[in-house]
Parts: sequence; C-alpha cells; structure tokens
Amino acid sequence: MLNRAARQNRVRPDLIQVPLWVRETFDSYLVCEFTTVKSGKPVTMPLLPFYLPDSGKFVVTSSILFSKKAENVKKNPKVSLLFSNPEGSKAGKHAVLVQGIAHADDSDLDHGWEKYLSYWRKKEPYIDAYLAEREKFGWFWKRIVVQVEPKKILAWKNGDTSQAPEEFGA
Amino acid sequence: MTSLDYQRLGNFGYAVITLIGDDGFPFSVSTDFKILPDRKIVLQKPARPSKLDGKRVNVLFNHITGLPGGGYGDRRYMLVWGTTHEDHGTLRFDPESLSEWDEKILPFDQYCAKSAPQGAKYLGMLQASAEA
Repeated sequence: MLNRAARQNRVRPDLIQVPLWVRETFDSYLVCEFTTVKSGKPVTMPLLPFYLPDSGKFVVTSSILFSKKAENVKKNPKVSLLFSNPEGSKAGKHAVLVQGIAHADDSDLDHGWEKYLSYWRKKEPYIDAYLAEREKFGWFWKRIVVQVEPKKILAWKNGDTSQAPEEFGA
Repeated sequence: MTSLDYQRLGNFGYAVITLIGDDGFPFSVSTDFKILPDRKIVLQKPARPSKLDGKRVNVLFNHITGLPGGGYGDRRYMLVWGTTHEDHGTLRFDPESLSEWDEKILPFDQYCAKSAPQGAKYLGMLQASAEA
C-alpha cells in the first residue's frame, strides 16, 4: 500500500517532489510572506496562500484595493512565497521558500477567484459571513487571481535558518 | 521616513529578510532579531544568502493570532526597507523607509476605505487596456 506522500506524488511525477512535512506546511500555514519585485526592489506582504495539489501551483488572491502586487507581477513575474509562520495551524515550525513565476489574472474580478473558496474556507472558516455582506465591501471582493508556478523550493526543517536549506527543483 | 515605532517593533516574534538574488528571484529567509537600547536593529545572520553585507533588503515583521475556531486575527505588520551590514557574526539593519498596518490602529474597514484610490487606479488601467 502506498503511503500518503507516495499517493500525492504519484498523481504528477513531473512536479517538484517535496517531503511530506513541506507539503503539510503548504497546506496548513495560514499566511505566507509573498514578495514581488518593483523597480528592482523587493516588496513583501503577508498573504493567505492556497496550494493546488493537482497542478503543484500556488494561488494568492488580491483585492483591487491592494493591487500593487498584481501591478508588480505584470511587470516582473518573478516572485517568492515564504512559509515561516505556523501560528493558527497544526503543523510544526518550519521555513519553506518557494520561488516561481507568477501570472496575474484579472479577467473576471467578480467571480474568477470564487473557484478557490473551498481552499479559503479551510483556512478562514468565517469567510462566508463576510461574503454574506459582499455588497458592503464591494471593491474588496473584486479580486485578482495570482497563480505561481514554482521553479525552486528551499526548506529549513524546524525553521533553523542558521543551517543550509534542503533544495528541491531547478 | 515615516517614524519607526521601536516599541511596537519589539513586540514582533521574528523577522523575514528579503533581497533580490542574482537570478532575479526574491529570496526570503526568517530569522531572529533584537533591538538594542540605542535603537539599533540586529538580525541573526542566516546561512543563506551567504553575503548580506551592504545589501539592500526589506525586512518584514508580521504577526497574526490564531483563532480557536480556525482562521486568525490581530493582524499587524511592519515592512521596512534598508541595508544590512555584517557585524561580528550578526547583521546590523539600518532602516530607511517603512510601510505598515495594524488593524488595532486602523480597523480593516477603514483600511479598505483608505485604499480606494488604488482600487480606482487599477480599474482605470483595466478600462484603458480594454479600450486600447
């Protein structure tokens, strides 16, 4: 019988293969530190990330109210996501850096992001209460979908960044 | 720069250093930090990137509090741009500019209202793009 990690990896062997603890970090950490590049400078913001196991990609969504990150992605698609904060999750403390190429999709601001609601609910169960008042925060719910294809993953087990990370991909 | 509140900064649990690597990708790493009595910010030097002396970086200090039923609140962050200098095995961080949000200081609905010009700008860009 295949163990859990093997079952997950069996679906897409072409994806970057990572240990189970890294995968659990992706699935359970509530926030990541998402960095875009503006005029050669990093801009890092805390964001709610979603990991899509079937494609191995990551998704963050952004209201047009806080859309500078999407503007940056359109000019420079190189981004990173650091998972370093286990607060509110049941996972252990680790640090995992994902470097990848991002694509900002603003073709359907009102509904394009809704396909990720099931992921959102798992991390913020109260989101439906806010959705019920959608008209109250109209522009907050006009959302850009930023999808990230990972190119390289670096992982520090137990979050000990004084040691060299394990590297996956690239 | 906008005044950096060292007292509030000291309440964060750790720091995330980010710089742009030679390959053009951002590189972020978490590390510990402390604030000395003379308001110098000292970061623990991570193993990677190996060279951080004189590098232009941003340092994110971020906090959330997990909620018993899932999700999180008590959101606050300080994003500080500046330069790191290697100093006896640690990194001295010289801050230059700051962006921050603390929902206890600026509630989320007010933060949204304050950000309306960016929303209007983005919609304007989309409109212009559609008409081009």
